[in-house]
Amino acid sequence: MSNPPLLEVEGLTVEFETYGGVVKAVRGVDFTVEAGEVMAIVGESGCGKSVTVQSLMGIIPMPPGRVTAGSARLNGAELLGLEPKAANAFRGKEIGMIFQDPMTSLNPTMTIGDQIAETLKVHRGIPGQQAFESAIKLLEMTHIPEARKRATQYPFEFSGGMLQRAMIAQSLACSPSLLIADEPTTALDVTIQAQILDLIKTLQAQDAMAVILITHDLAVVARTAQKVCVMYAGQIIEHGSVDDIFYQSAHPYTLGLKSAMPSNIGDREKSLNPIPGSPPDLFSPPLGCGYAPRCPHAMRVCHEENPPFFKDSNNTGHAARCWLQAPNAPSVPELYQSNKIASDGA
Amino acid sequence: MNTLRTLTEADFQPSPSEDNLEQISRPSLSYWQDAWIRLKKNTRALISLYLIVGLAFFTLIGPWIWTKDPAAQDLDQISQAPALPKTALLVKDFEPSATPIDTTHPPAPSGYPDALDAVTGLTVLGTPTTQSVRLSWSPVDQAGGYSVYRSESAPEGLMGLGLPLASLTAGNIVGFEDRLNLKSQTYYYSIIPTDGFDEFDVVSTLEVSPQQSITVSQALERQLIDSDDRPGQTVQLAFHPLGTDYLGRDMLARLMQGARVSLFIGVVAPLIYVLFGVFYGGFAGYLGGTTDQILMRFADFVVALPFLLFMILFKIAFGIGPGESGILPMLIALILLLWPATARLVRGQVLRIREQGYIEAARLLGGGPSYLIARHIIPNTMGVILVTLTFAVPSAIFTEAFLSFIGMGVAPPTPSWGSMCNEGVKTMLSHPHELFFPALFISITVLAFNLLGDGLTEALDSKMRSKE
Amino acid sequence: MFRYTLGRLLSGVITVWFIATATFLAMHAVPGDPLMNEKATTAEIRENLARKYGLDRPLPEQYVIYLSNMIQGDFGISFTQQNRRVNDIIKDHFPVSAALGILAITFAALGGILWGAITALYRNQLPDIIIMFLVILGISVPSFVFAALGQLLLVNLNQWFGTSILPVAGWGTFSHMLMPSLVLGLGTMALLTRLMRSSMLEVVNEDFIKTAKAKGLSPQRIFFKHQLRNAILPVVTVLGPQIAAITTGGFVVELVFAIPGLGRYFVQAVQQLDYTVIMGTTVFYGAFLVLMVILVDIIYGFIDPRVRLK
Repeated sequence: MSNPPLLEVEGLTVEFETYGGVVKAVRGVDFTVEAGEVMAIVGESGCGKSVTVQSLMGIIPMPPGRVTAGSARLNGAELLGLEPKAANAFRGKEIGMIFQDPMTSLNPTMTIGDQIAETLKVHRGIPGQQAFESAIKLLEMTHIPEARKRATQYPFEFSGGMLQRAMIAQSLACSPSLLIADEPTTALDVTIQAQILDLIKTLQAQDAMAVILITHDLAVVARTAQKVCVMYAGQIIEHGSVDDIFYQSAHPYTLGLKSAMPSNIGDREKSLNPIPGSPPDLFSPPLGCGYAPRCPHAMRVCHEENPPFFKDSNNTGHAARCWLQAPNAPSVPELYQSNKIASDGA
Repeated sequence: MNTLRTLTEADFQPSPSEDNLEQISRPSLSYWQDAWIRLKKNTRALISLYLIVGLAFFTLIGPWIWTKDPAAQDLDQISQAPALPKTALLVKDFEPSATPIDTTHPPAPSGYPDALDAVTGLTVLGTPTTQSVRLSWSPVDQAGGYSVYRSESAPEGLMGLGLPLASLTAGNIVGFEDRLNLKSQTYYYSIIPTDGFDEFDVVSTLEVSPQQSITVSQALERQLIDSDDRPGQTVQLAFHPLGTDYLGRDMLARLMQGARVSLFIGVVAPLIYVLFGVFYGGFAGYLGGTTDQILMRFADFVVALPFLLFMILFKIAFGIGPGESGILPMLIALILLLWPATARLVRGQVLRIREQGYIEAARLLGGGPSYLIARHIIPNTMGVILVTLTFAVPSAIFTEAFLSFIGMGVAPPTPSWGSMCNEGVKTMLSHPHELFFPALFISITVLAFNLLGDGLTEALDSKMRSKE
Repeated sequence: MFRYTLGRLLSGVITVWFIATATFLAMHAVPGDPLMNEKATTAEIRENLARKYGLDRPLPEQYVIYLSNMIQGDFGISFTQQNRRVNDIIKDHFPVSAALGILAITFAALGGILWGAITALYRNQLPDIIIMFLVILGISVPSFVFAALGQLLLVNLNQWFGTSILPVAGWGTFSHMLMPSLVLGLGTMALLTRLMRSSMLEVVNEDFIKTAKAKGLSPQRIFFKHQLRNAILPVVTVLGPQIAAITTGGFVVELVFAIPGLGRYFVQAVQQLDYTVIMGTTVFYGAFLVLMVILVDIIYGFIDPRVRLK
């Protein structure tokens, strides 16, 4: 075993108290992130990916929300359940975070330069003027032209893409070991999207920084990530390397996601393949597999009991929560079933 | 690893196809149903809703139940604090009696006395009532006259004797009948002997508490008795649960009538000017462009007019001057000055809605302007309109009360809560109830509408605000 | 910033013109001859006045005279007090009302922001509950009741202490201004507190607060630099119209506390149909309020960069 992972999350469970009842948003999530690695968390809206990372950062408002179980350790230090002061010590410093909509995620009444410098002032104790200079350098690092002038401007004077660069600059100010990017490109158009992703990749390689990238777009995953976790209805239902997920999908949901992607090659006449139905009600999560109602290959056991993770016998980094991965499950054409193949083989 | 259940052949059978892929887990609620549920959960809003219903009842049905005439003056019970029904002693009508004289005593001193004894035997004849108090005393030797005083608090020696009631100029006058403005409270009568000219430094005091009484003819007039009731019986006086004002008018009846005036203005004016504002603002928002700009400019100007000054000006211009009733002029003035706020709100809302995708979609499906307005724009502005209306009512009531208070509003004798406060302030220190009740009613009404408005805003709000 | 200010001033001038015109029209809709107040004038004076103000001329001409007089700053002479110029009346009594109003709005603004911030900080705890209860009282009870109660309080206070701690009525020193301006500002303070509270609670849900938290900033820093700064904006917006409300609400306070302010003279003038005083005061007040609103807008421009740079 080489170096211990940078981030270890085990059994994370998060609930929300609402006027309609208790919503179980995250139901037992485990994953690890190695230093310098880019991990993507994919899933549709409402699957719990944002709640997962936000609870790592401790920015979920705790009156309606609560972490009922689990632990998350950054370099061995526990992140959950910290006192505000201790939490502030690592937030912005060890872990940086950028959000989906740059237009609303920055204080409209402070200059960009001041907002970036703020991080340096608070975490590194750098005095005002010097911090501002560093802010300008950070803006340059993220390829914002006329950085000096830009630093004195306000968020509304920036375009979406530039604002996102500024946010990235802000989050990297203290050279964190982990960057969490919560759907950083969803609010931007495709060309800018590519630029931002490349920027993240460059900076990540430059500083050997780990990145957790949250997205619902498989194309983004393909472009940027090394490791992938697929989430559905509050649980991770498949995880593995990018190649594993794309070429050896071991869960029907992953298959569904892939085939739902519109393609610009191939037959124009083909109709789009959405996944019918919608995710389950998290007020009372189903007993069985959350995907069962929509899965074309669902079996009786799927409705009765939630499947555990089945590891790929050839590749322990790849696993899926699906009864079809059980040794004596029936074969399904496009699905990668290592245990099946293994038991079939001689 | 977790314990795997042993999987049998049966477990792997394909599951029966589920037709309800799109199963809806919660019953769908319409916008209004959802808002109503949220509103009901808000205790404060619910209480204020009940209060408003209660007020409506008070205003509309009240006068049918409590039928006392608000203009009638009950002269026996002026400025009375709220109390249980009072009784009064029925007495004979007043018959003037002769001044009681002790004939055994000379009317004037025989010389120039240096000192005189204090009056003795100072008592009250018969039952002292609010009709008359008959004092009687023994004559003082060498006295030439007596001075009678009355005070509402006990005098200290020769200080604080109070109101001089009479200077009797004969030493043999041995009685006095006080009929001056008597109330059923404690009085202190003091009597000082004089030599016919100057008072001497001796005083005798008697504490008297006259009983509330009413004469036969007064009682007959006010229909409190039948013709065969005799003096000596007790009579039920008119019941004033909330007391009376400085003219003896029943507070409860006046409050009810005032409610009609204040609430009429407070509800009708907002209804009209909000309606107008809706049309104006909706029109401007829907048309957009230069028309919108011009219309809003004009609205801004109206807003810039100093509100109270113009209220007064309008009131005079449309009304008949500060001496007359003034309900209609006030109504018109309020309407003319307050519509811009609603117009602006509605216009803003309409503009926002216009940008929404569903309007474009409806239009592309072939919806004409009237369809769009009726089916899409108006229902979505209803929330804003409702809230504006709810907040407009207390604002109008406040304004009316304020103007009536400074005499620029509804004028006497027509009561409105504001003018009642005006009258009440004058006797605030001695008879606080005259100010307290109208002020209380105004506050409760304003409070209720404000809380309801708050509740409505919350209930309708999360739909009004855009969700991320 | 300059262009923004200029634009505001220009629209202000137009607004004042509108106010003047509206006042003119309203006055001429009043039934009765403005000169019919016989106890104040003799026939000769009436003729002179009629000539000076062109009351015998057709309406449009009167309007022009009126406007030209006004531009020169001449509001004429009081009808009922022949030896006083309206300008002098305004000059003598307006500063009193202005001082009262400005002190009141200062109380209201500072108090409103302070209490609002406190309730947001201690949301749903005891300070919040107490303050919000007082706020509800403040917005429901009419201002004149507060004025009366305030005076009563002073009387009792003085009695209790045996001497005059604070004067019960009149004008002249700072202690005269204290209670009246407090009473005057109460209603607005309640309103601003409520507004500040809801604004703070709204801002706390905004995305940039999330970012601030993710940056690891201390709660104090987030509260002051991020939350407060943005939450104040709607409160400042509303300040302009509130100044109007306070200035006109000043009448009652002036009456109750026997303060020789312009409001009292206005009410008197209305009762006596003193034409020139009414018009002059109205237009003057209107212009003053427009100026106040412009000032508030300028201040707002300093706080919210979006407004001045866009």
